[in-house]
Amino acid sequence: MELDRDQLVTLYRLMLRARKLDELMVNGLKTGKMVGFYHSGQGEEAVPVGACTFNLREDDYVYPHHRGHAIGFTLARGVSPKTFVAMHYGRVPRDVEGPTSEQRGIFGISGTIGGAFPMALGWALTAKMNARSQVSICFFGDGSSGRGTLHESMNMASVMKLPVVWVCENNLYGQWMPIKDAFPREDIADLAHTYAMPGVVVDGQDVLAVHEAVRVAVQRAREGRGPSLVECKTYRYRAHAEGMPDVSHADPRPNEELEAWKQRDPILLFRNKLTERGIFDPDEAERIEAEVEAEVSALDEYAQQCPYPEIQDPAILDLLLYAGGEEVRS
Amino acid sequence: MREISYLGAINEGIGEEMERDPKVYVIGEDVTTSAFGITRGLVQRFGQARIIDTPISETAIAGAAVGAAMTGYRPVADFMFADFMFIAADEILLKAAKWRFIHGGVQRLPLVFMAAMGGYAMIGPEHSQSPEGIFMHTPGLKLAVPATPYDAKGLIKAAIRDDNPVVFLYHKGMLGFKGPVPEEDYVVPLGRAEVKREGSDVTVVAVGMMVHFALGLAEELKDRISVEVVDPRSLEPLDIETIVASVRKTGRVVVADEDTSRCGPAAEIAMQIMEQAFDDLDAPIKRIAAANYPIPAGLMERFVLPQPADLKAAIEALAG
Repeated sequence: MELDRDQLVTLYRLMLRARKLDELMVNGLKTGKMVGFYHSGQGEEAVPVGACTFNLREDDYVYPHHRGHAIGFTLARGVSPKTFVAMHYGRVPRDVEGPTSEQRGIFGISGTIGGAFPMALGWALTAKMNARSQVSICFFGDGSSGRGTLHESMNMASVMKLPVVWVCENNLYGQWMPIKDAFPREDIADLAHTYAMPGVVVDGQDVLAVHEAVRVAVQRAREGRGPSLVECKTYRYRAHAEGMPDVSHADPRPNEELEAWKQRDPILLFRNKLTERGIFDPDEAERIEAEVEAEVSALDEYAQQCPYPEIQDPAILDLLLYAGGEEVRS
Repeated sequence: MREISYLGAINEGIGEEMERDPKVYVIGEDVTTSAFGITRGLVQRFGQARIIDTPISETAIAGAAVGAAMTGYRPVADFMFADFMFIAADEILLKAAKWRFIHGGVQRLPLVFMAAMGGYAMIGPEHSQSPEGIFMHTPGLKLAVPATPYDAKGLIKAAIRDDNPVVFLYHKGMLGFKGPVPEEDYVVPLGRAEVKREGSDVTVVAVGMMVHFALGLAEELKDRISVEVVDPRSLEPLDIETIVASVRKTGRVVVADEDTSRCGPAAEIAMQIMEQAFDDLDAPIKRIAAANYPIPAGLMERFVLPQPADLKAAIEALAG
């Protein structure tokens, strides 16, 4: 399906925003603004942005993953990045406009790899029961192809013909385990044959290729024709988590591998394409870059003004733990 | 009042809640026939869209229930044997238990994880456990452990209506036990203990099958020792007030539970009694639970699981 000029520019801008916000987090850890840990998604922006933008409805369910702490997904779903930045800075977001991630079908990120497959199955079951042509789309890394939850969920989804799209963001490495030593075939998409669903491999650096492959899979799910598997080949620029070793098994990842992938950076490739096709006006790329940098800088300022969490009344923890107090609905 | 079985009471409770709320459904392995009969006959009333047979996939069953609950349904996930719930530890202990809390309380997870617990059937270590301790230990899960048909029906209905994850463990050794169950709608609220028999000398806090051991012994010993039997009925929330009130009256208490002794519910309840009613105790608290070994199959089982004789000795020693 042909995207119009504005849509193409939107894809570009979303990828750039995801990249710059990721860089803000990496920098925030170094400078002590950010608390906790961070799993960078730099180099993989074409997957969330290409897959989720202009393909999904507001009432679809999306499982992102931990790369970039889902920033590419929440941006693509129209969720304000204020929450993302403030919470990574350990603060309570204030004055957030627009939908929450829950209102766009993003319920969280599993702390266990492969822990999301069964939940995405549950959302697909809900979608089927609701009978409103919703879909559940579940992103996962190459590393989670080792999990039994993948088999149980893909198998059950196919048996029940549920409206789910499985998208593998294959960046060639688990934490430190190269996928070539963790999966016996070249393509994870080959699993599709076992589970009797279509499976395709696409260039994960090409945002339009990702968009089109996922569009076809989403359409199929919406029409009640069952699940599909899309594998996007991509590459992780940084270590699994900031500050951790950046290795393949126990050896440093080869620099020439990283440099070769950076030649095919998804943002760079798309910028060149839009320039060559004459989509971008002269200086438009620079203007967008300046706008995004200004947005990110403002978010950095905003988040530092947000308050740290305080608990006035310990009973608030009970309200977080259980819905409805101890009352039984009758 | 009519008398029906513990099994029939649970079955009736699930059926009533499915009639009452179209968002309730059952998902699990072979639930249309149901190994214990818990959901048998419901597919004929509600169809396969609401009594859903799955492949053997415990993580998918549990996780799908979590996802479905998050998006507006009220699934009852059936694991057959409670031992099989360990397969889905991520989905039960991490996702169901934590996701509301860690996402700022915006999610509601109205779901039931249902399974048969308990021994005395001599069917071995991976089909006989009473894994109450691990669920009671995990913040975010409620836990119902009914001992009578009345409580079983009332608690399964309360569990289904609750907006939170509830682990509902029914005892496979009590399926045929009969008792009075009203025909009209009622629930047994989670977090409310019941004094099953009043007494004045020794309190027995008894869970599941231990309730029946305790009631039998209370009758047997009644001419010598007046035994009060308190059944917590749910272990989270735990009605410690009712337990402590009984202990203040008798001054002597045995806590009896079928889970492993070490770090089991009996250990936790005993500690809470000590914290709240130490000055009312006339003797050290006694604990009756499974010995710290796997549960053997066959006749060896009795060397590990708590026996009525163990409970009797504890009561007599306290009353001594």
